[in-house]
Amino acid sequence: MTGFRAALVRRPYLIAVVLAAILLAVNVVAMPSAAASYWPGLIANLAPLAFVAIASTPSVLGGGIDLSIGPQVVLSNIVIVMVLLPAGIDSPWAVIPIVLALGILIGTINGVLVALLRFPAMIATLCVMFVLIGIAQRLAPQPAGGSTPWIEFLTSRAGLFPIAALVIAVPFAVWLVLRRTSFVRNLLAAGGDPIAATSAGVPVSAVRLLSYTLGGLFASIGGLMLTSLLRSADASQASTLVLIGLAAVALGGTAFTGGRGGLLGSLAGALCIFLIQNLLTALSVPAVWINVIYGLLLVGSVVLSASLLSQKNVRQPV
Amino acid sequence: MNPGGAPILLSCTEIAKSFGPTRALVEASLEVRGGEVHAILGENGSGKSTLVKIVAQMQRPDSGALVVTPRGRSLGPAHRTVATVFQEVLVVTGQSIVENVWLGADGVFGSPLPRRAKRRAAAEILHRLCGRELDLDAPVARLSLSDQQACCIARALVREPDLLVLDEATSALDLQTRDRFFDLLRELRADGMGTVFISHRMDELLGLSDRITVMKAGRTIATVDRLQATADTLVRLMTGGTRDERTADRKPPAIAGRPVLRADDLRLTRSSAPIDLALHAGEIVGVAGLEGHGQERLLLALWGEGAQSGSVTRLDGTKRVDRLRSPRQAARSGVAYVPRDRRKASIFAPLSIVENFAVTTLRADTRLGLISPKRRARRFRGFQERLAIRLGRQEDAITTLSGGNQQKAILARWLATEPEVLLLNDPTRGIDHGAKNDIYDLLRGLAAEGAAIAMLSSELEEHLTVMDRVIVMRENSVFAEFSGDSLTRENLVSAFFGVGEEVPA
Repeated sequence: MTGFRAALVRRPYLIAVVLAAILLAVNVVAMPSAAASYWPGLIANLAPLAFVAIASTPSVLGGGIDLSIGPQVVLSNIVIVMVLLPAGIDSPWAVIPIVLALGILIGTINGVLVALLRFPAMIATLCVMFVLIGIAQRLAPQPAGGSTPWIEFLTSRAGLFPIAALVIAVPFAVWLVLRRTSFVRNLLAAGGDPIAATSAGVPVSAVRLLSYTLGGLFASIGGLMLTSLLRSADASQASTLVLIGLAAVALGGTAFTGGRGGLLGSLAGALCIFLIQNLLTALSVPAVWINVIYGLLLVGSVVLSASLLSQKNVRQPV
Repeated sequence: MNPGGAPILLSCTEIAKSFGPTRALVEASLEVRGGEVHAILGENGSGKSTLVKIVAQMQRPDSGALVVTPRGRSLGPAHRTVATVFQEVLVVTGQSIVENVWLGADGVFGSPLPRRAKRRAAAEILHRLCGRELDLDAPVARLSLSDQQACCIARALVREPDLLVLDEATSALDLQTRDRFFDLLRELRADGMGTVFISHRMDELLGLSDRITVMKAGRTIATVDRLQATADTLVRLMTGGTRDERTADRKPPAIAGRPVLRADDLRLTRSSAPIDLALHAGEIVGVAGLEGHGQERLLLALWGEGAQSGSVTRLDGTKRVDRLRSPRQAARSGVAYVPRDRRKASIFAPLSIVENFAVTTLRADTRLGLISPKRRARRFRGFQERLAIRLGRQEDAITTLSGGNQQKAILARWLATEPEVLLLNDPTRGIDHGAKNDIYDLLRGLAAEGAAIAMLSSELEEHLTVMDRVIVMRENSVFAEFSGDSLTRENLVSAFFGVGEEVPA
């Protein structure tokens, strides 16, 4: 156990990875006949939730939180289907830059509110969340269809290889590049101990602001994936995605106090939640119980990682 | 060392700084030259930490001039003109040693130095400080507190500062590390670096500094050359040079009653020396010291909270003996603690004055299990008169009261539990003069009725006028105790700075 604990201190996402592996095995056992249609589409179906979790992570690492990630994903889906496509803008070279720019804009607004104007992150992003949900409902009062071939391609397969895996790899590539710069180190320092970071001269406000921008960027890619999967616009999912995304982040071992965790954990956390959802649906567990099970799972994993890490995280008194 | 001819690195002239109504700095001037260690000395509240924060450019002065002139040598890319090390060990626990050493040296994305150069510089300085090789990639949380502070010192030194500011930075270091650091500091001094040095240890100050500036009540009152300074002259400067008489209205030292609370072999931290003491009925005992030397820890430990080892025993007149293990138990056996931070730890801001008063003694107001407001009001009125609490209506929000009257209401809350031992954590901090005197009168009255009172105070004056006996804390243990004729300003301040302490080898 001590070996696992030591590994967990270095790689807090291990719990989620182990849990995801177990769930995959259980899925295989529980649904042997589903293999043909189920497995190849798994990654594509996972994509929206994975992006919500990944996009929620940077701000949490910096000691904040972004409650508006779910609505951001949904809004970029609705902007594509209800605004861009009807206006005849359907080339990927136009749609992708517009959607990404929108994501960067919304993320930066969050960042300015929290990091520069010093509103409490919870309140500021909650307000942004409501505004975005309002705009989404205004643009798409009821679900409406709309898609183009290249968007559908994003969740299709090339042979057996899912294209969605490539898209999910995009934020990881961005993150890997950022890890080579001082940005990620600064962000973890700002989230881990803002007082120490500030006194040492870490540009705390700047990295925190950018963490929200980064979240907005990732969320907008998630909007593309959601569009590809739904082939329609639907404003109704915005608020559920918020909470499930944050649950995936917590499950992935990222500390909500900031300073510890990463994108990989959030992906593994999203995978866990997704697999449980599938499993329970396949076992025809009533939908109302699924939320109860999410909750229990989350509490269990948070308690587990907190108790495994507790001794390492205590700050020694001076 | 001849700092006289060296260039002036830092010059502060007539700096003033206020925080709200508190004037932390009235008029402070300081000049630091290249190649000198300049110590700043003063007791609590003399303004030295505010001055240091201004020098470190963490706070802006309200008025006055601050000029920093870099040495103008060829500079590395990570160079800083002023680097500061604080008393708090400011490491980011989730990160590695080398990341902590270079914390804050990078821009948002870019880094001024290649990784290899950073590692080399960090390894070199840490080796000098810790006396051994450290695994640079190990988590900093795995290091001892002393080694963590060494990382913070290394963080300042890798910036190759012109001026190094040490704000009690050595208190977390173990002795060997401290000595190694001082050796390194002497080398850097020979290279022309200037150092502003604050320490609570007189022996460190006298051993290391070239000049010493003494502060008192927000003013820099003298700068003396080390060669002309002795511990005695410095203490005299800090206390103002007057051999003060104790205030006239002071009662003669009380004849100590029976012991009511006893601490045996009490250790406040794992490494601090054990404490044995007793509080007697009818006495007021002051708990004094420079800030952060365990005064609050002692009070809390006497209340049954946070001691590392040892025991606190409540001795009742009726021969009942209780081992205190928790605040709850302490409260039940007649020990009350009034915390320091009124706003955070005492007051229920949304509640009224009388509700704030009654929270500890709700049961006294109940009839058939329901609270009788009439009874409560009557009960509070007695305390209101005794403590001279000035208020509009009892039902007004507690926040409508002045700080002094809030504190009185909180005292009434605890007095209503009829404690025999009262532990007070700086009860007169930030309240007006009249309210202070009311509280002093109250405490004297309580002591005369047989209560034992231990009171932490950051004001020297209070120790001299209110207390029967004063315990001076240093490094989480009792350093000295004064009463009667030995309870003088100079004795207290000397003890604050450890004068008379054996110099550790």
